[in-house]
Amino acid sequence: MGVSFGDVTMGKKKKSSISPMVKALLSNLFKKPATCQYPFVKAEVPEGFRGKQVYDINLCISCGLCSRDCPASAIEMVEINGKRRPLFHLDQCIFCYQCAESCPRNAIQSTKIFELATTDKSSLVIKPEEKAQKENGEQQ
Amino acid sequence: MSQKETDILSVLQAKFKDTSVQVQPQQLGKVAVIADATTYRDVLKALLEADEKTAVIAITGIDLGATLGVFYHIRTSTAGIITIKVEVPQEEPRLKTISDLMPGAAFDEMEVTDLVGVVFEGHPSPGRLVLPDNWPDGVFPLRKDAKLDNLQFKPTPPSEPASPGNEDIVKIIIGPQHPALLEPEKFALKVEGEIVKDVQPRIGYVHRGIEKAAESRTYLQDVYLVERICGICNACHATCFVEAVEKILETEVPPRAKYIRTILLELNRLHSHLLTLGHAGLEIGFETLFQYFWRDREPIMDITEIISGNRVISSGMTVGGVRRDINEADIPKIKGMLTSLRKRLPFYKKVYEDEPSIKMRMKNVGTLKREDALKLCIVGPTARGSAVDIDVRKDEPYEAYGEIPFKLITYNEGDTWARMNVRMDEVEESINIIEYALDNLPTGPFRVRVPRVVPAGETVNRVEAPRGELFYYLKSNGTAYPERVKVRTPTFANIPAFLATAIGSNIADVPPNFVSLDPCFSCTDR
Amino acid sequence: MLFDLYFVFRVLVFPGFTFLFFFTMFCDWVERKIEARMQNRMGPTFTGPGGILQPFADVVKLLTKEDIVPGGAKKTIFRIAPIISFSIIVFAISFLPIDGAAIIPNSSFAGDLIFIMALITIANFFLFLSGWASANPYSDIGASRLLTQFLGYDIPLVILALAPAFLAGSLTIASIAASQYLPFIILAPWAFVLFIVTLQAELEKDPFDIPHAESEVVGGLETEFCGGKLAFLRLTRDMQIVFGAALVVELFLGGPYGPVFFGFPAFWYFLWFVLKLLAVVVVTEYLTCLFARLRIDQVLTANWKVLLPLSVLSLTLTVAVATWVYPLVM
Repeated sequence: MGVSFGDVTMGKKKKSSISPMVKALLSNLFKKPATCQYPFVKAEVPEGFRGKQVYDINLCISCGLCSRDCPASAIEMVEINGKRRPLFHLDQCIFCYQCAESCPRNAIQSTKIFELATTDKSSLVIKPEEKAQKENGEQQ
Repeated sequence: MSQKETDILSVLQAKFKDTSVQVQPQQLGKVAVIADATTYRDVLKALLEADEKTAVIAITGIDLGATLGVFYHIRTSTAGIITIKVEVPQEEPRLKTISDLMPGAAFDEMEVTDLVGVVFEGHPSPGRLVLPDNWPDGVFPLRKDAKLDNLQFKPTPPSEPASPGNEDIVKIIIGPQHPALLEPEKFALKVEGEIVKDVQPRIGYVHRGIEKAAESRTYLQDVYLVERICGICNACHATCFVEAVEKILETEVPPRAKYIRTILLELNRLHSHLLTLGHAGLEIGFETLFQYFWRDREPIMDITEIISGNRVISSGMTVGGVRRDINEADIPKIKGMLTSLRKRLPFYKKVYEDEPSIKMRMKNVGTLKREDALKLCIVGPTARGSAVDIDVRKDEPYEAYGEIPFKLITYNEGDTWARMNVRMDEVEESINIIEYALDNLPTGPFRVRVPRVVPAGETVNRVEAPRGELFYYLKSNGTAYPERVKVRTPTFANIPAFLATAIGSNIADVPPNFVSLDPCFSCTDR
Repeated sequence: MLFDLYFVFRVLVFPGFTFLFFFTMFCDWVERKIEARMQNRMGPTFTGPGGILQPFADVVKLLTKEDIVPGGAKKTIFRIAPIISFSIIVFAISFLPIDGAAIIPNSSFAGDLIFIMALITIANFFLFLSGWASANPYSDIGASRLLTQFLGYDIPLVILALAPAFLAGSLTIASIAASQYLPFIILAPWAFVLFIVTLQAELEKDPFDIPHAESEVVGGLETEFCGGKLAFLRLTRDMQIVFGAALVVELFLGGPYGPVFFGFPAFWYFLWFVLKLLAVVVVTEYLTCLFARLRIDQVLTANWKVLLPLSVLSLTLTVAVATWVYPLVM
């Protein structure tokens, strides 16, 4: 069932019973602090970090699975040029990426952008139409 | 089943052979016992006589249509979880309390009264537990026909005067906002001089109705919902839930997924223990220890970020496996960070053993004797610090714990110092488990596809969260939405330990005592 | 002369009130930086060069906040007590020689060591009153803990301060500081060590931090104060630290006296005084970081059962050693 690991009794004689904190405090006084000086120093995020979403309208087939599966109800299907496309409300989003998993065509990908704090709520919405117009503009 | 399990089963079957009590093996996890309002106490008494370590895990209140079900989930040391199912009519929902047999069940009964409406006669301190004081009478949120729009709240009752009657007794209120607490709860201490005479708890400040919310979301969405019951043990909640769903679906998860789940669970445990150890330092006024522990906690969050994409809430579990694989190229980096954390551990061990002020503040503070721990149904490192060797990873191995060797840590002293040492030793064991899992990752798929609609059934499941045993009861009804999700978190079970040990101590001992049971009120209130 | 410019300058500007005000903030910055570095973090960094303006910024911020007096408080005492305690401490520091002479010129008299100890006790009593006058159970507990701790540790403090007085043969601080041809830390190191420990308790620093223990009594006696009054309380505490360190410098480290290389002796005395004081501040801060906080009953046990007998013993030892050993050696 279980093994009792250890029973530290107070009466045992130890080799040196001075708390190691005495030396640690003095040595830390001369070391570099462990603080990462963000925002003056950029924070490194690893690959696969779940940051702001990026959505490719060319791959979308308007199935609506992303909106149905979103646990936070953060994706709204809107009409763009006669087709249903997802609109992402990043202020509701919990960045779980269930939408990316549910999407049968991998139209939603992650980026490393995490600095999303803003005072303007409209910047927290990823609209599909801008991408569509930009794509059309480039192709012409 | 093992020999001892069949013993308990045969004891039950023999005792209740010709009565209305039905004993059904292989149901609901291990054993389900169908009893009624007159016989359930006899079943409980029989179990208590058969095994000293019997404890009440949770009491589920459920709306079954014409009747209200009250399910008592009992943990025994050999037969796993035995559920005693009792039904009471909706018009007359009364049952006798079991808190005279098991004092640890008092909180569970108060919650069932609040949320489902079953009244327990003879309860020592009836009153609101998770709902606010001005909640209207007669509205029980977990009933299927509860109307939760346009509630007419009662006027808030006046609070007690500062020093009722006796001039010597001063009322010190810890919470809801207090520097000693991370999350809001109220503990009203009645203090004479510097000695605490009485503690009145009031929880429910962070109650978000997650059990009710889980019924209106699909199983897939519920994984993310239950993950957010607690920020730190998020992987444990998610694992417990998906395992319960997989039990009903009878899906077998691939071995690679089991190992990756184990790694994420142990990372949660490391995170939580390092956080508590630092927080304990802060409560006893040792800021340096706090800063050092939290500095050493940072690599754990970096590792979680590498594996799952986010520093705290990993969102790695899904029904049928894990959502993403571990990149083989990252493993040396992860192991390097774990090795440097392991090198710091002897320093902290030595500080706890040699630093005189820590020993003065933590030894013989909040001592919980073994028999009290068993009677109050305490779980987790709080119990293991009082020589009670319960650990779900060893009692009922889940995921990959059956294949990975590790030690169960117990200490005998039962005081705050012992509980902190349990956590420190568990940090080392967790590092061992993660390294073993990374070295022996099986190949293969990390996920299987499962249907979205879950057939009707019910099951129980438990995992070992950092704070103790986490318990889920899940009932499905053949749709894509669950019928009932019941969560019993470890801190909910451990608060009676704090109440018992705080009485008779100094005020100054209350914060370290409190932190040593590692309270997480988001978990408690759901 | 009714208007003595020299007097006004010394008392109000340098080394008087203005200098003390800014010097207290400088010591606060040194404390915070040392504590932060020992804890492996940065400390104040961005307000001013190296964060040196941080304590000043804190005072300014507090002055801009709303000043609330609780309804049930005893309003007059609540408003006046912090200011009185602050003034008394400034007055007490004025007797210590900083640049070779006390701040208030020609003010030292026989027995002023005991006088300034008494002044500090009265200042802390006014701090207790300010906590007692706020109608809050947390303030009550904090204030009563403060008084219990301070009055208790005052006794060993005075007894230990008598050791350098005996070695110097006088109870006047200026003469104790001046008669240290060999600093008394070398002649009576036991008294120095015990004095530093007792000083930790007087200044309410870890391990004797309990009167303003955050995790139990929220803010101790400071709980109900906000705005300008809180700034005064904070300044009082910081100035007490400066006072305590200055006392150690005068009694044990040779006061402001040290080698004079060129130019004005007053400048060099001032420089040595500042350096020695900063050294004492660093030592007390190190002790603060090293220990956890003791409970009130452990604090009282440490005082009455340990420090009081040890301080009497140290005085006896100093007398014995000074009378019989040192004349043989030197």
